[in-house]
Amino acid sequence: MTIHLKIWRQKDKNSPGKLVDYTVDDANPDMSFLELLDWLNERLMNEGREPVEFDHDCREGICGSCNLVLNGMAHGPMQGTAVCQLHMRKYKDGDTIVVEPWRAKAFPMIKDLVVDRSAFDRIMAAGGYISVNTGAPADANAIPVDKYNADQAFDYAACIGCGACVAACPNSSASLFTGAKISQLAHLPQGDPERNRRVVNMVDQMAEEGFGDCSNYAECEAVCPAEISITSIAKMRREYFNALSEIE
Amino acid sequence: MSKAATFLNSQVGRKIATGVTGFGLVLFIIVHLLGNLAYFAGAEAINTYSHTLHQLGPLLWIVRLGLLAFFLYHAWLGVSIWLERRRARPEKYEVYASRGGASRQSWSSSSMVLTGILLFLFVITHLNTFAFHDFATITYGGVEMHDVHARLTEVFLQPLYTVYYVVIMVLLGMHLRHGVWSAFQSLGWMSRKTNPIIYSIAFVLALIIAIGFIGLPLSIYFQLV
Ligand code: SF4
Ligand code: FES
Repeated sequence: MTIHLKIWRQKDKNSPGKLVDYTVDDANPDMSFLELLDWLNERLMNEGREPVEFDHDCREGICGSCNLVLNGMAHGPMQGTAVCQLHMRKYKDGDTIVVEPWRAKAFPMIKDLVVDRSAFDRIMAAGGYISVNTGAPADANAIPVDKYNADQAFDYAACIGCGACVAACPNSSASLFTGAKISQLAHLPQGDPERNRRVVNMVDQMAEEGFGDCSNYAECEAVCPAEISITSIAKMRREYFNALSEIE
Repeated sequence: MSKAATFLNSQVGRKIATGVTGFGLVLFIIVHLLGNLAYFAGAEAINTYSHTLHQLGPLLWIVRLGLLAFFLYHAWLGVSIWLERRRARPEKYEVYASRGGASRQSWSSSSMVLTGILLFLFVITHLNTFAFHDFATITYGGVEMHDVHARLTEVFLQPLYTVYYVVIMVLLGMHLRHGVWSAFQSLGWMSRKTNPIIYSIAFVLALIIAIGFIGLPLSIYFQLV
């Protein structure tokens, strides 16, 4: 199949970028989208041209490295799917796909389709951790967790930290990511010791990094490959309110 | 910083404040709508209603000032959140599309700032037309009161004003369609199960309010009452 690509090329943060046209005329429907880019890059390199930079690692939807906006949708058109798991059979022969990086002030451009997502690491460092005893591993069942909370925590823990929620949000808000992390730990007894400080610090850090406010557009939930629900954001708000009333 | 200041400066606090002030304003709108309906019960009913409200004296002023504060704060939050979004994404997408599905991006949510600003301007003209108007008086059982009924009739017999009012009430319905649902989410009153229910209730409420407000001017204009 023939696929026309318009790919965002940008040398670095300080150079202007633009969409560049490429055509792959022998794409295979069984290729993943990233394999299509590999295929294109191989050709570019053989021609002595510079390959397209893009992020990827596991290519099985679990690491959160891949980050492409296809025709205006973060991770492309398929619900609950990271772009590495999107296959070309989803497209028709002759389709044109516009490929852009995540765009947000808090995710500065590195090159082409690669942006710096370390803002997420700093949000995590601000409170996305728990206190555990070092030494011999504890028995896994030593702390009882009821099924409801275990399930909730597990759903929120599915976040792979990709940043699609920010990319798709008209406000560039990081609320879904931060909400998922806070909600996950708020449902577990292990999260209790830092509970109040966690939510206050993570919410602060989110603003500090330059992410926008949330307007409840819920576009984040629609593009999230882990299908994290915006109820995590509602939960974060409850947690924040309770934390401020309890903190001295 | 005090706790209250920390709260009101945080992204979560701003959102909760938007929801709380929004709910307050919706409550006022509902009371206002019920008051309007008194017109249908005749001149004496609505004039007496308005007169009774004015008898409340200081209490009325407390409510008025509270409403004004809510209104201004709500508007300021909305505009500042909108300004913030421009800062948070300096370089726009060449192509942007909503994925649909769980997304609540719609004609309503995407135009909140616009409908909000138009409603803000409307309120100023609306106060000028009614609240600050020099009413004629009428006497019932020896009590002199403002003839609100006559003023309403006079205003809504004008085609231009009636059209303007109806259009604004459609915008109000649009604003509330996303606003009411959004306020629940902002206050954290949301679970996976209640989400679609509240979203539907918000739609019905917005529809009832818009239709309710449109009913009076149209009835007057077409002389149905
Ligand atoms: S919440 Fe979803 S979209 Fe956002 S970072 Fe986590 S997995 Fe990605
Ligand atoms: S490459 Fe790991 S999630 Fe896509």
